[in-house]
Amino acid sequence: MTKNFQMLFLLTTIIGTLNAADHLVDQKGKTFIPHTLIVKVGDTITFRNSDPFAHNAYTDDEVNEFDIGMQAAGTDTTITIKGKGEGHFNVECAIHPNMLVEVTVK
Amino acid sequence: MRYFFLFISLFSSLYSLDKSYEEGKKIYERTCASCHGINGIPNPEIKFIVSPRNLSKSILTEEQNYHIIKDGSHFWGSSADIMPAFKTLYNDYQMRSIAFYIKEAFNPNVDTKVKELYAISDSIPKEKQEKMLTHGKKIYMRNCSWCHGATGEGDGEATRHPELSIFPYNLKKALLTNEQMFLYAKYGGQFWGTHKDDMPSWSRKYDDYTLKSVIRYIDETFKQ
Repeated sequence: MTKNFQMLFLLTTIIGTLNAADHLVDQKGKTFIPHTLIVKVGDTITFRNSDPFAHNAYTDDEVNEFDIGMQAAGTDTTITIKGKGEGHFNVECAIHPNMLVEVTVK
Repeated sequence: MRYFFLFISLFSSLYSLDKSYEEGKKIYERTCASCHGINGIPNPEIKFIVSPRNLSKSILTEEQNYHIIKDGSHFWGSSADIMPAFKTLYNDYQMRSIAFYIKEAFNPNVDTKVKELYAISDSIPKEKQEKMLTHGKKIYMRNCSWCHGATGEGDGEATRHPELSIFPYNLKKALLTNEQMFLYAKYGGQFWGTHKDDMPSWSRKYDDYTLKSVIRYIDETFKQ
């Protein structure tokens, strides 16, 4: 019985991983592109810095709290969406106050 | 007789101010205008790593300008050493005359402007005042320390990324009053005549309470 549950859990994880999508958020001209994003738990978001200077991306969201630190020009940083269900949070750049991307978890 | 002395006193004060203005104008046009422009607006062809301040927009008072002219901007917290000290070139009267001329010619109402803009900002209710220091620290560490550094010395992590080419102020040395600093944070440096938006406007992200909390944290923690 326990073995069956383990198999089911493994299968769910594998299917979840296969279904997971990667969303690209570009940082260009001191703007997050796109401004809004719809994701699901297990998806990843890659922050790409296309500006010729450093950026940052962070959120204080309780479930998905992260801070990628100082991101050098021309680099990618990927984070994974955590949690169990729906939610909504904003990602901002700590250096450039007008940069904002709204993330909806469905 | 009393009126005669009053007249003489008034006349000599005006004469002295006029003389100071003319002296300041003469030196400004000979020395300062090559960077800051004849009208206080910098010559766009000047290609320094940090462009000269647009004096027609500057928030600095006559006294603050005098100190910067005397000691140079680096002495007062600028990371860049573009604005040199003139104390070896000019005497005290001449430097005060330049500062007087800058104020009178380009920005005569600067003091009133600062007071008026600060007066329209939100006042902080008593119950929120106690939390200002902790709130200000949190926001400072989250946003400001990237450039100004955790100890306010202008040596944050962003300064170690050459592609940013930013020159944040050492807040321990900065001449700005708390009111001026608040207006810098709210409107951004470019609004007050710095050449680009290194110091951005934070008003879209934070309300007056938050910005005043940050200034209070800076004032109580870093200012000497």
